[in-house]
Amino acid sequence: MITLWYAILAFMLTTYIVLDGRNFGVGILHWIVARNQNERRQVIAAIGPLWSWHEVWLVATGGVMLMAFPRLMSASFSGCYLALFLILWCVLLRGISIEVGGHLSDPLWQEFWDAVFVFSNLLLAVLFGAALGNIARGVPLTSQGTFYLPFFTNFGIRGSVGLLDWYTVPVALFCVLILTAHGANYLAMKTEGAVHERSVRLARRLWLATIPAFVIITVLTWFVRPQLLQGMAVRPVSWLTLVVSAVSIYALVSGLRHERERLALLGSSFLLFGLLMTGAAALFPVVLYSTTDNSLQLTAADCAAPAFSLAIAIAWWIPALILAFAYLYIIQRHYGGKASVSKDSQELY
Amino acid sequence: MQASLTDAALWHRIHFGFTITYHYLFPQLTMGLAWFLVYWKWRALRTGAEKYNRAARFWARIFGLNFAVGVVTGIPMEFQFGTNWAGFSKYSGAVIGQTLAMEGMFAFFLESAFIGAFIWGEKRLGPKGHFLAAVGVATGSWLSGLFILVTNAFMQHPVGYAVAADGTLALSNVGAFLLNPWALVQFAHNQCAALVTGAFVITAMGAFYTLRGVHSEQARVYLNTGTLVGLVASLLVAFPTGDSQAKMVGRYQPVTLASMEGLFHGTRLADVSVIGQPNVSQQRLENPISLPGALSFLAYGTFKSYVRGLDEFSKNDWPDNIELIYYAFHIMITLGTIFILIMAWANWKRWRGRLESSAGLLWILMLAFPFPYIANSLGWMTTELGRQPWLVYGLFRTASGYSQVVSAGDTIFTLIGFVGLYFVLGLLFLYLTGREINKGPDAPYPLAKRQEVAV
Repeated sequence: MITLWYAILAFMLTTYIVLDGRNFGVGILHWIVARNQNERRQVIAAIGPLWSWHEVWLVATGGVMLMAFPRLMSASFSGCYLALFLILWCVLLRGISIEVGGHLSDPLWQEFWDAVFVFSNLLLAVLFGAALGNIARGVPLTSQGTFYLPFFTNFGIRGSVGLLDWYTVPVALFCVLILTAHGANYLAMKTEGAVHERSVRLARRLWLATIPAFVIITVLTWFVRPQLLQGMAVRPVSWLTLVVSAVSIYALVSGLRHERERLALLGSSFLLFGLLMTGAAALFPVVLYSTTDNSLQLTAADCAAPAFSLAIAIAWWIPALILAFAYLYIIQRHYGGKASVSKDSQELY
Repeated sequence: MQASLTDAALWHRIHFGFTITYHYLFPQLTMGLAWFLVYWKWRALRTGAEKYNRAARFWARIFGLNFAVGVVTGIPMEFQFGTNWAGFSKYSGAVIGQTLAMEGMFAFFLESAFIGAFIWGEKRLGPKGHFLAAVGVATGSWLSGLFILVTNAFMQHPVGYAVAADGTLALSNVGAFLLNPWALVQFAHNQCAALVTGAFVITAMGAFYTLRGVHSEQARVYLNTGTLVGLVASLLVAFPTGDSQAKMVGRYQPVTLASMEGLFHGTRLADVSVIGQPNVSQQRLENPISLPGALSFLAYGTFKSYVRGLDEFSKNDWPDNIELIYYAFHIMITLGTIFILIMAWANWKRWRGRLESSAGLLWILMLAFPFPYIANSLGWMTTELGRQPWLVYGLFRTASGYSQVVSAGDTIFTLIGFVGLYFVLGLLFLYLTGREINKGPDAPYPLAKRQEVAV
């Protein structure tokens, strides 16, 4: 049961990053692919009516983490206190920039909110990347099972580490790169005209750039947390997710080469999904790895809620998930195809 | 008692109190408005009258702004359980995490899937689809309220739990937990109060347009629906929901009831004071004007019932700010009574067909809309301060719940961040809402021309 809930938690966080990550990417590309106000409204319209549905994955992940692994939530959230509030404030500003940017037709107003949109998304990609880096590297756990991370210390990866070091910074940058490429795939599918042309061209270049970056990150991870590769070798689930990643790469490449944009987006979504799930499978059962003393690390079983709570929760979680995807299906039926500023403007009915 | 800039427990409480109070200004209106929107969309479907569609469109814009602020201020709430209340999360996460996770899975996915389609998608969805989207949003927002109130009810009156081997809480009876009697009463009371907020805001808008002499057809729709729902909801807030809520407090938290009424010494024929100030150090009520026996009757059903006073409880278990609870509770009750009177008066005038010509009453209705917000906030202050010094009543003290690793300074820092951000957010919200109100429900959509040129 604990293993199942670990898998569910990993699935939900991964889904959040795949879905909202493409919005981060769109935000980062906003100024690059859209050069005038009309093109910029097109980009915002492309994010569409479902961005808050994507954000709900983050909120639901938080709720599930509290329910299934209360100790993990209490240790990690209080330990990353300031960084977490930075994330929350960025989420807040990003949401506001999407909502209010189109309310006034004044160009200065729109430029201002475009800037908020770009920087909050960029910072979110960096922060989530750094967070993933921290999960892989570990945190300075004390004997009470708690920690408190400063932003950075000596940039080392052992002992009293900070949020940023020579490992987590490259991971954060890699995260920005791959999510930008992912966002470019989405824009290529969802837009027309000049924005479309630029997104298609950028997507190819960005995905080429991820290849060497991915090799570097893999080597660094090998060095920082060798247990990851051992975990991967002994856990058959991670072979499955690696196969998913491999198939996704094939879909991504053929989608990019033949301008089949939906296929490319599916490819990049499942590639991210496969990679993150592989990571999660390899990390199991350790949820908080210690940079100070291996005996202090916390496993999923150390953090889990009692068995009865977990069993009850499965009974409602599965129908809830089916319902969530049913809503998505209903909305997608009405919102297929290219985004349209005239159809999707708040000001028009 | 320690009270300084280094008292982390205090600052964590202020942090949560500020962010939740600000947050709840927005959901109380969206939960109240949601069913008005459903009703108008339904009327438009049935009668084909364009005025109902127009009303729904206008209020959907106001709803959208409120919803957006509600969402962005709501996300930090859930995360604060981990960041600021780590002790509490660890202790009770296995129980309260159930409802918080359910809220995300059942309510937020529903709400968020349909909100965008509801606000932007009338053209894409068609009339029936648009009506159903309104139903989806309304259902989602009330479900969210239900799960939060079940969570809060567990903190007020814990049921369905067991204590695990390591001293933390585990769920033992999920039915008892979800059907907590406290939750049902509190949900009914709270949702009626949200409808009061919605009704007063809609009525105020109708009064404003009528007094200005603009949008008269729309103003009539708002006044008619707003005053009717306003009267019914105001009555329901007081009886039976408010009454049952008070009885529930009397039964399970007698020390809180004593604080709410400033009853320092237990007695039969206990009074309700209409006016009075608690003097905690002297343990008496200053300048009381009282209704004799009313508290005994309201709390326990007969005038002779004995009501326990604060002096019968250990000071250790007293709520830590009796004056604040007393004032919050009394002002809430007073406001609730005034709401009933105003709405009764308005309905009488409306029934006589004279509402739109009663300038004095329209002024009152226009200026009354902030007070339901105040009453709602004070009700929650009564509930939450009344629960002190416990986080989970009778089981877990507030002092053990906050994050030990987070210093008072870090908490003050992020609190200041929220105060600043929320101040700007509030200005932005008022500015954009003011623009919508000024533009009004009958205005042509000003961006239309620009869009046609652009596309």
